Amino acid sequence: MPLSRTTTGRFANRIFRQSLTAQRYQSTGIPSSEVIDTDVVIVGGGPAGLALASTLGSSESIRNNLKVTLVDGGDLSKIKTWNAPPTSFSNRVVSLTNKSKAFLTDIGAWDHVDEARTNAVEHMQVWDGVSDARIEFDAQDLQLTRVNNGMATLTEILNLQRALLRHLDNLPNIQLLHRTKVTSITADSEDKGSWPLIHLDNNSTLRARLLVGADGFNSPVRTFAQIPSFGWGYNTQAIVATLVHPPRGAFEGPNTTAYQRFLPTGPIAFLPLSPTMSSLVWSTKPALAAALQAADPNVLAIMINAAFRLPHLSMKYLHQRILESHAAGISILPDTLRQELQFREQSHAVGPTSAYSSLQIIGGQQGIPPADSEMVPPLVTQIQAGTVASFPLKYNHAETYLGEGVGARTVLVGDAAHTIHPLAGQGLNLGLGDVESLANCITATIATGGDIGSYTSLLRYSQSRYLANHTVMSAVDKLHKLYSTDSDAIVWARSVGVEVLNELDSVKAAMMMSAGADFGNVAPPSWSASGWNIAASGVEILAKATKTAEAVGNTLTSTIGANLSTFIRSTRP
Amino acid sequence: MVSTILRQTFLQQSRSPSIRQISYSCRRLNGALKSGPSHNSVNPDEIAHFSKLSSEWWDEQGEFSFLHKMNPVRMQFIRDRIFEVAQEENPGLSSKPHQALQGLDILDVGCGGGLLSESLARMGANTLGIDASQSNIAIASSHASADPALKPASGRSNLRYRNAPAETLLLEPKRYDVVCSMEVLEHVENPADFLSTCAELLKPGGHLFLSTIARTPTAYFLTILVAEDILGKVSKGTHTYAKYIKPSELLDYFRDYHSPPNNQLKTSPPVSSRPWITSPSSTTYLNRSEADIRGLIYKPLAARWSLAPRDAWWALECNYMLWVRKPKEPYAAAR
Repeated sequence: MPLSRTTTGRFANRIFRQSLTAQRYQSTGIPSSEVIDTDVVIVGGGPAGLALASTLGSSESIRNNLKVTLVDGGDLSKIKTWNAPPTSFSNRVVSLTNKSKAFLTDIGAWDHVDEARTNAVEHMQVWDGVSDARIEFDAQDLQLTRVNNGMATLTEILNLQRALLRHLDNLPNIQLLHRTKVTSITADSEDKGSWPLIHLDNNSTLRARLLVGADGFNSPVRTFAQIPSFGWGYNTQAIVATLVHPPRGAFEGPNTTAYQRFLPTGPIAFLPLSPTMSSLVWSTKPALAAALQAADPNVLAIMINAAFRLPHLSMKYLHQRILESHAAGISILPDTLRQELQFREQSHAVGPTSAYSSLQIIGGQQGIPPADSEMVPPLVTQIQAGTVASFPLKYNHAETYLGEGVGARTVLVGDAAHTIHPLAGQGLNLGLGDVESLANCITATIATGGDIGSYTSLLRYSQSRYLANHTVMSAVDKLHKLYSTDSDAIVWARSVGVEVLNELDSVKAAMMMSAGADFGNVAPPSWSASGWNIAASGVEILAKATKTAEAVGNTLTSTIGANLSTFIRSTRP
Repeated sequence: MVSTILRQTFLQQSRSPSIRQISYSCRRLNGALKSGPSHNSVNPDEIAHFSKLSSEWWDEQGEFSFLHKMNPVRMQFIRDRIFEVAQEENPGLSSKPHQALQGLDILDVGCGGGLLSESLARMGANTLGIDASQSNIAIASSHASADPALKPASGRSNLRYRNAPAETLLLEPKRYDVVCSMEVLEHVENPADFLSTCAELLKPGGHLFLSTIARTPTAYFLTILVAEDILGKVSKGTHTYAKYIKPSELLDYFRDYHSPPNNQLKTSPPVSSRPWITSPSSTTYLNRSEADIRGLIYKPLAARWSLAPRDAWWALECNYMLWVRKPKEPYAAAR
């Protein structure tokens, strides 16, 4: 062979190194008897991880070809045996899009969901807390293939997790290792294309063809794979709680309307669960959240009612009162707050019989309800004991979903890949989209004899999800930023913007997807992505208009500016 | 304008073929296709080239990233042709496409790092990968040994590798259900001999799968000028334009090709045996039970290869795949 000596030496060297690696795996390190070869290891038993395990288990070709193990540190049997009376609801609720629900039905998991505990959203009311500009969404506007689905389905996360666990009971090929912690993850060699070793606290080690990080925002799998992630905190805390209220009256619709008001401190959302129970997600400043959480639950109930009704100026004042008394260590009494509220409502000319009064006589709503009663949620009378909790809001997106180098054969799904503001209720839906796409990618790879852990085969997953997720995430992020201010100029642009949006059917349709609807089976598969693109560009235009308005506002004298915005606001209903 | 630039570029490139070279290569091929005496088809320079690159085989984002991406499409073509024939011959067949390769004896000639061999083995075929480069076989074996489903020690492995040229296998009695040779034809010394070796290694009714690059300006532009010289994605010297083979030349070869009796070493083929492809070269039509030829198209935005539809002759300008079936009864008179 016409090979020079140096070349021969070089490649011989490479081969030597390669075979050394192979030997090292076989002869050193952890005794091979304790290393269990596994095809897919899913770390994390949250909804995304369980959904992935269920999906892989429900595919015949995957079941016959791959060994799948899910590892979770918690006690999943507690979730599997979770049983709550129909009069109480968990405070962690998600909105599932029709697409997500159809997917869960396809894999056979939806059959195990207690449907009596879920609720279809038929209608949505979204409005600006400062200008009162409002968008209304109705399920009937959508050409839904199945009418009873509504725009989205609200369900407790526990109900969904329990369903997925029950579904997995029927899939014995999927191994569940719960109450088992991952102590560390290492690569089995220093070369490219190494295999991850997942060391468990039960002294065994899993060697994975494909390691899936479904382990949430602080993903240890992401850290192992050295995937950088990019994001920021919103300096916002989300308070969640289960709310108790009287049923809607005979002249009102059923409790199937979701409400969201964008206050400058953050959006407050009311998600209907049953005729007399609903879920709260109130995003607000951390200090305010701490004060509200520490206050008497009745104070919180009054504040929730006010937050959906009272004009922004007075709401700001009430916030101040709550903060001051919390700082002084005095807990404000419900009665004091009611008096405060009475005065405020009088000065805003809100009568005691108005739908916008938080002080209506509860239970006295027999007969004809006040006008506009459907513009605001029912009055909260009580908060289910022990359901008030809060968590900080973040935006975070991993730079890539696929590990490389030492992190080869690693992929991220759900919150491990992306964390999003909950205002559009998209977090878990994006995660389920990841799960569906990854399962499809694995099935396609098996069908052509590929290695499911290889970078090339996983590329299909990251290509189909990264940009789609990014589009939704940035649209939601821009919405949050746009609505987190009470500057006159921006509010003016915002009110005009939202009203403009209301007129544009296509944009409205895209916005409806933010609330979790879809266009059923009639829409082409690419529709949801393009819908979001429309939504994103709509928000983009809005953001530009805001900047222009801001610039205009700065050049005008403050009096003219204020007059202008007052004038514009007075022309709005 | 573009064509002028292209022509100029052709003439300026030191490694680019002159018109004389192209016509020489045509003669070389035609001559080779008719040549009788057996040569070793291995080209030492080519082996040295790929040996040098052997450690790169499994770097999916490196030198061979295009081959990694091409692999699922090749597998899809192989799987579907075999499944289609199996279904046609046995209409009651209940198996699914992904089971089509199960239990078949498959030979992968010029397996390189084992990209295709591993996939064939995963789909249940008893796979033998052979390569004339010792270092390629070392890399392929080492890579498979890291995979519990493929490593020989596991006992359930149906993947083996051997450092041997295809010709040596002719000396053994073993014949194969399927012979694959992916992106090899454009690297061998004597394509006609190589093709007849592959053909003879098949059982009657066996399937031959080839993939290679067409000798067209498009292919020159994409595989040599862009991939090697401009983008540097592929090492210089990987491809030699004159060695590219046109789809029509390959089809014509099998229109003339008759299996020798009893698969013995080359004797003059009996005239009475049917050629592998019976449809005349004057038509573009191929009998679906005999052969199929498909272009492979790279979609840069999706970073993915796809298989062109059956009648897309325009897609045969660059990378393409050929499936041709060895007649079941070599002595049957031509119809």
